[in-house]
Amino acid sequence: MTRATNAGIGVTRYLQVYTVLSQALAEGDIAAGEALPSEPSLVRQYGVSRTTVRRALARLAAERCIVRRRGSGTFARDKVVRPSSARQIASIIDNPRSVVTNTTVRLLEFKSMPVPDFLQRDWPDFGPTVLTIRRVRYVNQDPVVLVTSYVPEDVGRLLTPKRLGNGTITAALNQLGLHSASLEQEASAVAADPLTAKHLAFSVGSPVLKLRCLERDSRGRILRYANYLYRPDRYELHTVVERQRHPPRRYPSRT
Amino acid sequence: MASTTARRTNKSKQVRGDGFRARRAGRGVARYYLLYEHLSGALNDGTIPAGGALPSEPELVTRYKLSRTTVRRALARLEEEGRIVRRRGSGTFARQNRKPALLLLNLDDFFEDLPALFTQSAKTLLRFEMGPVPTSLRELQPHLGSRALILQRLHRHHGTPYALTTAYIPEKLGKKIGKDALTRSSIITALDQIAPRISRTEYTTSAVAADAVAAKRLDVALGTPLLRTRAVLSAGRAQVHAVLESLCRPDRFNVRVALERGSSRGSKPHWRLKRS
Repeated sequence: MTRATNAGIGVTRYLQVYTVLSQALAEGDIAAGEALPSEPSLVRQYGVSRTTVRRALARLAAERCIVRRRGSGTFARDKVVRPSSARQIASIIDNPRSVVTNTTVRLLEFKSMPVPDFLQRDWPDFGPTVLTIRRVRYVNQDPVVLVTSYVPEDVGRLLTPKRLGNGTITAALNQLGLHSASLEQEASAVAADPLTAKHLAFSVGSPVLKLRCLERDSRGRILRYANYLYRPDRYELHTVVERQRHPPRRYPSRT
Repeated sequence: MASTTARRTNKSKQVRGDGFRARRAGRGVARYYLLYEHLSGALNDGTIPAGGALPSEPELVTRYKLSRTTVRRALARLEEEGRIVRRRGSGTFARQNRKPALLLLNLDDFFEDLPALFTQSAKTLLRFEMGPVPTSLRELQPHLGSRALILQRLHRHHGTPYALTTAYIPEKLGKKIGKDALTRSSIITALDQIAPRISRTEYTTSAVAADAVAAKRLDVALGTPLLRTRAVLSAGRAQVHAVLESLCRPDRFNVRVALERGSSRGSKPHWRLKRS
């Protein structure tokens, strides 16, 4: 009963199979040079037709992810020079210095507009008007993340596209003396919609890492709300938690 | 709801202006899905506010050059998801956006909260055995070794599966853990009793497509995006006690982190987890 309501439906079966296989290849679950399961076993495993499996394999072959050898089967290609790993790119993008020197940005939108409903609902203190900034960030010419930021009007008035340049919005705000003191972040996964897919050079329906982030200054004033959509093959989120010496109090159960 | 008709005209104009073309469908994408995504976006970002009217079926047909069946399919899916309501004779309207019943994991209280959250929800033990560590995990965490105790569980909330968690515990430690110790307490508590106290957890969060196994367990379509969190639990350098991998349905479960700025170290801002 839940199936019909899940994202992923609406993307054809061949694209689903393609997405899953290309992920297994990229992550090394199917190692370089290793054989893929045979067509009949893929048919069984995914519960799809042989035509569907063939179409998915044909696309992987066209993208040079696999090689098909007549009579012996289908194999993951030998180790191709792997583009920088998600971890490496993350360390470039998350570092305030290297993000300026080692990445490029394309500005898609920079405009004032009425506050969207979802912001107003969750944070009524946002105010009636926001500056919306939408940008794509690239590392080595490859798109990594599509970021949509909403900045309250009074803060937004201080920003210009030129002032932002290549840097992060947080850095631009810092230069204006606006420092974020707290940050709430929520991670989720979504299917790439056509617009996101286009900007991230990704196929529609592919999984995308979504981060929502709210920054406030030390007085609790909202500085920015941002929605990040990352290509998961080019970015992963790292968090380290050191355990406290003394166990904290027990929290009431949350359900 | 009296104001809905008044809003109708100007709101449907806004939906028009944003360059959506169903004809530019990517390979392998159903046309109805593109319209569904487009309308879904307009509902999410408030272009069509709660209570606001959606363009009528014939309007959608002519505007996007789609068949009536395609339009109906897109609307049917939105209706099924409870995001719009169709009133005979008056049209289709955006529903009040319900706060989705999401389970939220706060990383900061991981050591307390995760066990509580995961122990309280119904779970099924799927695997408890010594087995090989998957290649991708071994690359990520060489200290884990090649064989581990594998403990896989499916978690449900109100009957719906939301997380498939797999714990990999290095063979040496794994041998000391009994099945019943894990049913009585969390993995962390169980490990703390047989090895130096876990002092650090490193998370890697990503999005992955549901493979055949995960899709079946979590009752989603093949390729559905899932939130994957890998947590490496260690008691100091190179002392990896476990790697926990969770695959979560993002419509049921998100991961939240609250950070605050700590004392500045040089020019690099230093963030620390906010403790409640």
